[in-house]
Amino acid sequence: MRIIVDETRCEGYGFCAEAAPHLLELDDEGELTVLSEQVAPDEAANAEAAVRVCPVAALRLQS
Amino acid sequence: MSVTGDTVKDTVKDIVVVGGSIAAVTAADALRRHGHEGSITVVSDERYTPYVRPPLSKGMLKGVETEESVFMAPPRSDVDFRVKTRAVGLDRERRRVLLEDGEELPYDGLVVASGARARRLGPPEAGELVVRDLDDALRLRAAFAEAGSLVVVGGGFLGMEIASTARGLGLEVTVVDQDPPLVRQFGSLLAEHMTRAALDEGVRIVRSPGGVRLVGQAPVTGVRTAEGELLEADVVVSAVGDLPNVEWLAGSGLGGPEGLLVDDRCRAAPGVVAAGDVVARVSDRTGRPRRSPHWGSAIDQARAAALALLRGDEAPPYRPAPYYWTEQWGLDIKICGRILPGAIPEVLSGSLDERGALVRWTHDGVPVAAATVNHRMPVVKLRKLATAS
Ligand SMILES: Cc1cc2nc3c(=O)[nH]c(=O)nc-3n(C[C@H](O)[C@H](O)[C@H](O)COP(=O)(O)OP(=O)(O)OC[C@H]3O[C@@H](n4cnc5c(N)ncnc54)[C@H](O)[C@@H]3O)c2cc1C
Ligand code: SF4
Repeated sequence: MRIIVDETRCEGYGFCAEAAPHLLELDDEGELTVLSEQVAPDEAANAEAAVRVCPVAALRLQS
Repeated sequence: MSVTGDTVKDTVKDIVVVGGSIAAVTAADALRRHGHEGSITVVSDERYTPYVRPPLSKGMLKGVETEESVFMAPPRSDVDFRVKTRAVGLDRERRRVLLEDGEELPYDGLVVASGARARRLGPPEAGELVVRDLDDALRLRAAFAEAGSLVVVGGGFLGMEIASTARGLGLEVTVVDQDPPLVRQFGSLLAEHMTRAALDEGVRIVRSPGGVRLVGQAPVTGVRTAEGELLEADVVVSAVGDLPNVEWLAGSGLGGPEGLLVDDRCRAAPGVVAAGDVVARVSDRTGRPRRSPHWGSAIDQARAAALALLRGDEAPPYRPAPYYWTEQWGLDIKICGRILPGAIPEVLSGSLDERGALVRWTHDGVPVAAATVNHRMPVVKLRKLATAS
């Protein structure tokens, strides 16, 4: 499973990073960095939760 | 039944969640994350699976984003998610949620996440337009496509976002409110800055301290101010606040006009927790119940509520850390904390006139809020500014 950010939509709210801190992080500029695009099986639930809390639906998962 | 050392109360097996939006979805996610293995049934009275509301007054309303793009990732497979299913009652003694079709859902734990709806000025038959759900936004977007003019009743953040979107589409826009726009949510410095931006874009702002009355019915064709001025437009939309959805709790002893009151762990009663726009908490500052109807509060409360349901007093208390934002007139504003009445703003960097700034408010010498205006900054940093000196 991979996690993909639509950079044109992302507003840097950071809710996703709180839900999946091992996968996503806001950098010093407030830009979202994907720490690991590949989602390990034990991170899948966090990745799904991260995708759901984004208020602008900027994230998606690809299997 | 334990995940990373968490202890889950074995007494909580079947959990029912009432609501179909971010608070409901986050609660279900958090329950599973914290090791709940029993059933989770979510009932939503909407005809859609969950979607995000913030774009409904911004990109989606403008038409730069499609309606498909607002949908959240599908509900998880280990949750029984039912759309078009309305809860109409709660029997706390027998621990059952009553559904519109007569079915009763037994629960050990209940999450109330029924949110809020738009307040209306007229009776249902007035055909008043509001923006709360996806169908409202689709209706308004279609109306904008054919309209030349718009009156927005209400100069809060929702009303001003709708006004900004419509102006961007070329409509002639009038905003009418009892008070100067935005002051309550954004403080006078930012509110005045945003209002000036609106005026610069040719929007008319009318102040009507006595309120307004709708004129015409299905469709509403205008409003008349208490001062007697008639404001007419092709489209009239009300953005006059929201009301918590507590009616289905009537008779259960829970919920009132101010919302569903919860304690410091989002608990409303034994076995009942709540999160999101429906929730009221007693304010530390004023001692009065207060709702915090924002996306971020719904998420934080849903996580706290899920933990409290599973762990009771061992769950950490919920510490509100308000965070909200708006986009209007080319201004992208994010705020942490609460801009208390009388708080003193200070521009820490940039300048509002240059349209990019970092602002902090202090109250009695203590920082209470911080905001970025067209300025990127990680939320954690902004939050620190809002709380530390
Ligand atoms: C147009 C718009 C723009 C916004 N923009 C922003 C923004 O920019 N920033 C921000 O922070 N916040 C914004 N908000 C606020 C934010 O969207 C809300 O705080 C958030 O949606 C609250 O989530 P919730 O799950 O508590 O409630 P809601 O989103 O209100 O969802 C409640 C759900 O429960 C369902 N329901 C209600 N009663 C029942 C019942 N009896 N049985 C079954 N289901 C029921 C409803 O149909 C609904 O699906 C905006 C809101 C709107 C309407
Ligand atoms: S929650 Fe959405 S908008 Fe916010 S940082 Fe994550 S992807 Fe970007």
